[in-house]
Amino acid sequence: MKLLSKIKYPLLKLIDISGFKVLDPPVRLMYGEEPEKQVRDILRYMLLPIVFVLACVVVWNVAGPKHKTKSGEVPTPSKVWTAAQDSTRFKNRENEKQAAFLVEGEVREQELARVKAELLKLEESAANLKAQSAEVTLKGQSEMDAKILPVKTRLDELKATLKLAKAARKEELVALADKVSQGSASGESLIALVEQDAAEYEKEKARLKSINDELDAIRDNPPAAVKKAQLDSNKIADEVQHYKKRIDYLTTGNRSMKVESAKEKELTAAAALKTSATGADALKQAKAVVSNRKKATSTLEQEYPRAATIYWQTWRSVATVFVGFVLAAAVAIPLGIMCGLNRIVMACLTPIISIFRPVSPVVWLLIFQIVIGAFFPDPDEHPLFRFMNHDNNPLAFLKTNPAMIFSACTVAMCALWPALVNTALGVSAIDKDHLNVAKVLRLGFWSRLFKIIIPSSLPLMFAGLRISLGVGWMVLIAAEALSSSDGLGKFVWDEYQNGSSQSFANIILACFVVGIIGFALDRFMIVLQRMVSFDDGSSTA
Amino acid sequence: MGAASLISSPLLMAEQLDVEKDTLKFGFIKLTDCAPIVIAKEKGFFEAEGLQVEVVAQPNWKQLLDNVITGELDGAHMLSGQPIAATIGFGTKAHIVTPYTLDLNGNAITVSNAIWEGMQENDEALQSDTPPHPITADSLKPMVVEAKEDGQKLPMGMVFPVSTHNYEFRYWLAAAGIHPGMYTSTDLKGFTDGDIELSTTPPPQMPATLESGKNVAYCVGEPWNQQAVTKGIGVPVVTNYDIWKNNPEKVFGVTKQWADENPLTLIAVTKALIKAGKWLDETSADGSLVNREEACRILSQPNYVGADFDVIKNSMTGFFYFQKTDKRPMPDFNVFFKYNGTYPHYSDGVWFLTQMRRWGQITEAKSEAWYHETAKSVYLPDVYRKAADMLVAEGALAASDYPSAEYDGYKPATADFIDGVSFDGKQAIKYLNSHKIGNKDPE
Repeated sequence: MKLLSKIKYPLLKLIDISGFKVLDPPVRLMYGEEPEKQVRDILRYMLLPIVFVLACVVVWNVAGPKHKTKSGEVPTPSKVWTAAQDSTRFKNRENEKQAAFLVEGEVREQELARVKAELLKLEESAANLKAQSAEVTLKGQSEMDAKILPVKTRLDELKATLKLAKAARKEELVALADKVSQGSASGESLIALVEQDAAEYEKEKARLKSINDELDAIRDNPPAAVKKAQLDSNKIADEVQHYKKRIDYLTTGNRSMKVESAKEKELTAAAALKTSATGADALKQAKAVVSNRKKATSTLEQEYPRAATIYWQTWRSVATVFVGFVLAAAVAIPLGIMCGLNRIVMACLTPIISIFRPVSPVVWLLIFQIVIGAFFPDPDEHPLFRFMNHDNNPLAFLKTNPAMIFSACTVAMCALWPALVNTALGVSAIDKDHLNVAKVLRLGFWSRLFKIIIPSSLPLMFAGLRISLGVGWMVLIAAEALSSSDGLGKFVWDEYQNGSSQSFANIILACFVVGIIGFALDRFMIVLQRMVSFDDGSSTA
Repeated sequence: MGAASLISSPLLMAEQLDVEKDTLKFGFIKLTDCAPIVIAKEKGFFEAEGLQVEVVAQPNWKQLLDNVITGELDGAHMLSGQPIAATIGFGTKAHIVTPYTLDLNGNAITVSNAIWEGMQENDEALQSDTPPHPITADSLKPMVVEAKEDGQKLPMGMVFPVSTHNYEFRYWLAAAGIHPGMYTSTDLKGFTDGDIELSTTPPPQMPATLESGKNVAYCVGEPWNQQAVTKGIGVPVVTNYDIWKNNPEKVFGVTKQWADENPLTLIAVTKALIKAGKWLDETSADGSLVNREEACRILSQPNYVGADFDVIKNSMTGFFYFQKTDKRPMPDFNVFFKYNGTYPHYSDGVWFLTQMRRWGQITEAKSEAWYHETAKSVYLPDVYRKAADMLVAEGALAASDYPSAEYDGYKPATADFIDGVSFDGKQAIKYLNSHKIGNKDPE
């Protein structure tokens, strides 16, 4: 109990620093501080917002499906949730395949037996479902045909009548035209008839179209049972495929098996070498020994080529944005300090800042692709990538490549400005008294810089960095989509290109992932900012 | 199935080549004709050659080519015209070579519902759920003329300036006397003198542009024509099979430098691709394609083509929907191996070069010899032959599955075009001059 009361204020302080003010009333309520006020605050600032957000979700759920586009309807929250689950399943499958690729010895055999047994079961139910689906589809087809038939007959009848009517009108027109040419009817009447004919034709077309639309509507909406049966059958067939691939990775595609086979071949060749009759044969066998020996060692280093999952792409995006952010800060802070200290430097840099700040990230990306691309003529051999992607590097999973560097530079270029401007502002706004004291104490440049200038401009500097990180995150998604650098941006772009029934839901899923991570990054910066601020920092929340 | 599983087992393989590079990265565009590369990976054909391959989707053809040139990718799924255009310097210049043609056919021209109605009005024969094929652009011409009289050029889409789609679309229009426009040294969009405006649109955006009216027709590969049918926004009127029967579509391209540095790796890759092509075209006794359904399921994974299984299945399992009511058997809509289709024929290169000259992408007249030299510097039948010979020795391929050693790389002359003009790969300039619309050169 004592401990509990001891941590009250540190807890409240933590809540304050992290910016989650909402959590303040429940904590205070827990300690019994002004219960009435706290309950009121909880209702107002916690429950009401929750209710509001829930209401938004309900509106989305109801209104989304009403908006039908040719690419399908707007997915409901539950569809987005399904998409998230599917993405997770995709990741799990990659994990399973990777595990199958790496597993060795007895465990591999056990695993193989287990997967084979499961596959047998799956195949059985897949066959059942497929038969079922075929049956349901057939039934659904005949149902639909039954619905279509009367409409179709109507359409054919209408077409026949219209054809007759058209022919009749044409005759009428020809007759009248003849009369006009003979002078027994006025030209005006012919023009009127032509106009009337065109109007009739338009009407007929509209009538045909409405029936055709009716037909399309029937064709587009097969009975729900058919769709469901197909989906179920597809889903299980998908699973069967995955299991088969796993068996591949457990047998012929397995790393240890491949090494084994190379070693075996090496031994066979070595044995053949001893008994070789001719020089040519001996040379051939010796070469086989060497190449298989090489193969065995190089296979040992092989990694499973993982497909990109949304989880991995999120990590990569976060890493890219941090690289870009650090680059931006490394340039912006020294430059900003120089600008703040010296008005001439500021005057020199102002035109550059003013012109380049509004430039779109897309333009920067293209420029960097051309300019920086020249530094990596052979990416595989470049020391930076060799270091980053070395097997022992914990960051190797990010698969650093030039596209990632372009994206990071684009982020840096766009994130640079807020940090630069704010730092300059912070430095130039230092209390003159502080600087005078420094003068009196005869502090050198470096101590003045580290003891006075940087500490007193830190709050504004961090406010700028916080904006920079936010800008960088927004820019990154666009840059990745354009540069095909793996990350959330590419995920969105790939999904757009896929155009499958789930793409729309996946794009909305990515929208949430981007938003939540952006929020987390912002909170992270707020905490840093408050930790370096002298005041309570409330003004920057 | 039995044969396929024998092939995929490295333990039963004969010799693996002593490859220079065993970890490779290939690029592809999300189209069903990337299938051989994806299948070679997923069915373990690359692994059987001792290659560990990563397959990465690329956002567009330009970026894909750039990534191959910079070395970010080792090789890629390319438009047949791309290695040729890059080698002669139309667009990005780089010497790209190809040992393997990935597929034949596989494209279609889709028109919007409004244009389709107009075509039906102009041609009574089209007023049916199953109109007679092939459909020419003759019924489209009156609309083009009418729009032009109103001071408007009908906007149409194709996927890339040097894509097969561009040449096929132009061919189809020109065969009906519609001038598709010329490229000149100052007009790199190819609008000069055109009756219509044919511009570049990335494949996945095709249906959206058709719906919004930005294009009234487009030529693209699958699944984007079937998607227009599924969504009810347009009608595929003609496939490129009808424009030129069994035309080469995509190739597997690498830089000349890469090919020189990794000759054995290239042979190993070609071996795996041949096996994948053969697997894709495997038929049962009654002629139905047995492996296509599995291929569709693999392609429908989000990291590959990613479209819905049912949509991919529509065109890849030997059928094609021209309208919802008009499903026709098209066993040769996608050819991945048959008819010596994967062999890099010099005559294919010559055809693309004549089309580039015909529409002005090659701005000046060239000599007959130039056409053949250029084709020979891009296509690498030697690599294909080495790979195929090895597969025959391993028992994975029959000697009758590819052209014999005497074959000179030129397909016999054919008139299998929608306008019946005959093409003899050995007479490039004569062929060029046999067209009504387009550049003509002195012989």
